[in-house]
Order: sequence, then C-alpha cells, then structure tokens
Amino acid sequence: MKVFVTGMGAATSLGVGVNTMFASLLENRSGIRHYPEWEKYVGLHTHLGAPVPEYDISRIPRSARRTMSRMSEMAVVATLEALQMADLPVGNHENTPRVLICMGSTTGSPDTLETYFKKLIERGGPEGQLGTSFFKVMNHSVAANVASALGFRGPVMSPSSACATSAQAMIMGWELIQGGMYDIVIAGGADELHYTGGAVFDIVQAASRGYNDRPDQASRPFDQARDGLVVSEGAGVVILESEQSAQRRGVRPHAQFLGGSYLCDGTHMSQSNASAMIEVMKMSLERAKMKISDVEYVNAHATGTIQGDAEEAQAIGALFGNQVPVSSLKGHFGHSLAACGAIEVISSIKMIQEEVLIPTRNLAHVDPTCSQALHLQEKRTGKLNNVLSNNFAFGGMNTSLLLSAV
Amino acid sequence: MSNQEIVTRVNELMSRGFEIPQDKLTPNATLFDDLGLDSLDAVDMLVHLEENIGVKVDAEKLITVRTLQDIYTMVEGLVDQKPKSELSH
Repeated sequence: MKVFVTGMGAATSLGVGVNTMFASLLENRSGIRHYPEWEKYVGLHTHLGAPVPEYDISRIPRSARRTMSRMSEMAVVATLEALQMADLPVGNHENTPRVLICMGSTTGSPDTLETYFKKLIERGGPEGQLGTSFFKVMNHSVAANVASALGFRGPVMSPSSACATSAQAMIMGWELIQGGMYDIVIAGGADELHYTGGAVFDIVQAASRGYNDRPDQASRPFDQARDGLVVSEGAGVVILESEQSAQRRGVRPHAQFLGGSYLCDGTHMSQSNASAMIEVMKMSLERAKMKISDVEYVNAHATGTIQGDAEEAQAIGALFGNQVPVSSLKGHFGHSLAACGAIEVISSIKMIQEEVLIPTRNLAHVDPTCSQALHLQEKRTGKLNNVLSNNFAFGGMNTSLLLSAV
Repeated sequence: MSNQEIVTRVNELMSRGFEIPQDKLTPNATLFDDLGLDSLDAVDMLVHLEENIGVKVDAEKLITVRTLQDIYTMVEGLVDQKPKSELSH
C-alpha cells in the first residue's frame, strides 16, 4: 500500500509556514542568535539558541490555549497549516476513528517544569500551583493539546525519543497505515527553546561554546571547526495518508513516504554508533523496497558535534560511497530536537518539488573524520526523485526513512 | 483596601487572566455560565487572587461561590482579617 504526504506544516527558527521556511533555506539564512541572558547560569558555556519568530494562535479558544506552553502552541500552528494544505477538516468533535494523531516532544515544557519545581521547593509543597501547569508538562502534552485545539475525537498517541521523536512518529504512522489500522496519520513533533536544553548537551561537551560572539557561524555540521550543536525549537507536522484515502478525497500528494525504520543500538546512551546507523539505513531501504543506488540525496542528522558527525559521515560513506550528495540543515535551523525529523522531511520534500538541493551551512572545510561522504557545500539544482533522511537521538536511538517524488 | 479597589483589582485579574471582556464583568455574572469559566479556571483564580491581591482562599470555600459578587464579598472578608502590611500592592 502506498503512503503519501498530503499536508505539511512547520514553525521553525527560519520562519513560520512551510514556504517561508523554505525561502529562508534557499537564502542560506541562519536562525541562530546570541542569548546574553544565559550567561548568568552557572556552568553553562553555550549561549546560543535558535528561536521561532512570532506566531499567531489567537484563533484557538482560551479554554484550549490555557494548557499550552510554546511547544504545544507551535505544534498547533504547524498542524493547522498541514491540515489546510491537505484539505482535511478533522476536529470539531466529530468521530474520526481512522485518523490518528501521533506526535511528541523530548519532555514536557521545560519552562513550566522549572517554574513548577522552583515554587514546589520554595513552598515545601504544592501550595500555590496553577491547575493548568501540569497539562503543559505531561509527556503527551503536545499531542493532547493539539487534539484539544482541534476538537479531535479520535485516537491519539505520543511517542517520545528525544531528537528522533518526530522521525519515529512518522515511521510509526507509516507502519500503522501499512498495517491497515488507520487511513491518515497526523505525525510530527515539537520542542521549545530553554537554557536547560542547551545545558543537556553542554554538560556532555556536545554544545557549541566557541561561537557565542558569532552566532551565524555556529552549528557547523561536518566542518573542521565545528564545536557542537546549537539548540533550537519548533514544530513539524506531516499528514500521512493511504493512497486509497488520498484518491477518495481527491487530494494531491506532495511526496510518497516510502518507508522507514528505527533501531536502538543498546550500547551507549550518548555516543553515536556508525554500525547501528548503517544497519538502520539498510533496514529502511529494505522496508521501502529501495536499493542503495536508488538514493539520490541523503539528508543527514548531523548536528555539528565532533563524534556524531564523524560517525554519521562514516556510516553514509560506507553505504553510499562518495557518490550521493549529503547535507545537514542544522547549520540553518540549529537543532530543534523532537521537531527536527519532521522539519527535515518537509524541507526534503520541498527540495524534491523545487528541484534544488540545499547545502550544509557553515561547511567551509570538510573535516578529515567526515570525508567519506560527498558533502554538498554549494546549492545544486536538478531533478530529484528519492531521498533518505536520518535522525538519531540520545538513548542509542537511530531512525532512517525514505521519500520519493510523485 | 477599599471595596471599590477590590472590585477593580478582581475585575483586572479576571480580564487579564481569563480574557473576559470588561463589559461582561458585572456583579451578578455567574462564573461558569456567564463568564465561561470552569473548575480548572477556578483553581487558577485562587492562585491569581493570592499573587495579585495577597489573599489566600480556602479551595473548599469555592463551593459557595457562584457570581462575581460572591468573589468580591469573599475577598473583602479576607482583606478585613489581614493587617495592612500583609496586603499586596
């Protein structure tokens, strides 16, 4: 059974809305900026982040907005765009048993968690806590708030695997449509910018520290002078739909979701593992019924870390040699954590549609440890049919998926 | 704090915290039916009352509260019990 992408929505550091975001990518813009206010946090060395510009959710009733932190708000913005693009009027409290919402985040709202526990500790108990706070910090806050905003009366699930969350949500959606469980899956992920997000990577020496005074040069995937990732925020949502459902509704697909796979390497919580990356890409190709030679572009996860980028370049090189162009978009967006998989899928579909490959931003000199792959350092135009997209996460999580033109 | 000041501050809180238009904030307006609040909002309202006016309301007392006037009356009673120095500004 073919599965199509019939809608896309994005709220990113490069703009809100798919077309705005892609226009910024074509202009090679960076969404990263300096956060001098983060300098006060003891032991925090990274003072960079990539925020999402202003967005409007005033059309959502207050009764739904009151339980949303930024991550849920951005997920709602992206979902509404995706549903509109797919001409899919779900919600309004109508039963939709064949439509699944499948989206998640790394954690609940870090901003709300900080406020909640600060007060809890100060007061020695729960006195004075807002009744709405908990609904911003649940593990399924993003999915539940999107459902609440839509008036969605149907199945909802909330996968969570940190930076692989939305990739895993999409692959699970594809699996469930393939398995005949659902006709349509609204899949994606979201996360919000907070200094603790930077701190998580800073503590394990994986966040950028040396570019605080030059934010547009920070986040340098595969580059000799890379020094770690820059945290971002955002939401990415795609509408996955069976061929039969898309035909029945008369909706135009934007791409085919060929398939994907996920694999936990079970060896290390934080260190990337090239052999597991190779394995998950092979599994993904097999499930998508594609050959290595079919792949014309690899959208890498590469976040700009010393070890992760080298492992991924080695894995891609081992599988594709130096014949298939590779780029990472983390130099543009920063790392939007749970959102990045869906945002990168949407960017890849736009590359297919616009027949242009976006190069890796800030890749001036390919690091020798990353030299096994064919890196895109300049924009390239031309017809593009098949794309492989990787995403990896703490916990040994590895995902890979394939898309094709329609 | 005068009764009029209490009305003004409670109304500000209702308008800012719950996006209720000023013209709906009449003393006889019922919290749930007329102003569209629910039990979750009621819990948040207690926190806002404490943070903005400095009165601690026992959550159990909310059972007796039906209208905006009931809130004014409850806050007036609590303000009267407090020394002036403890009231928030």
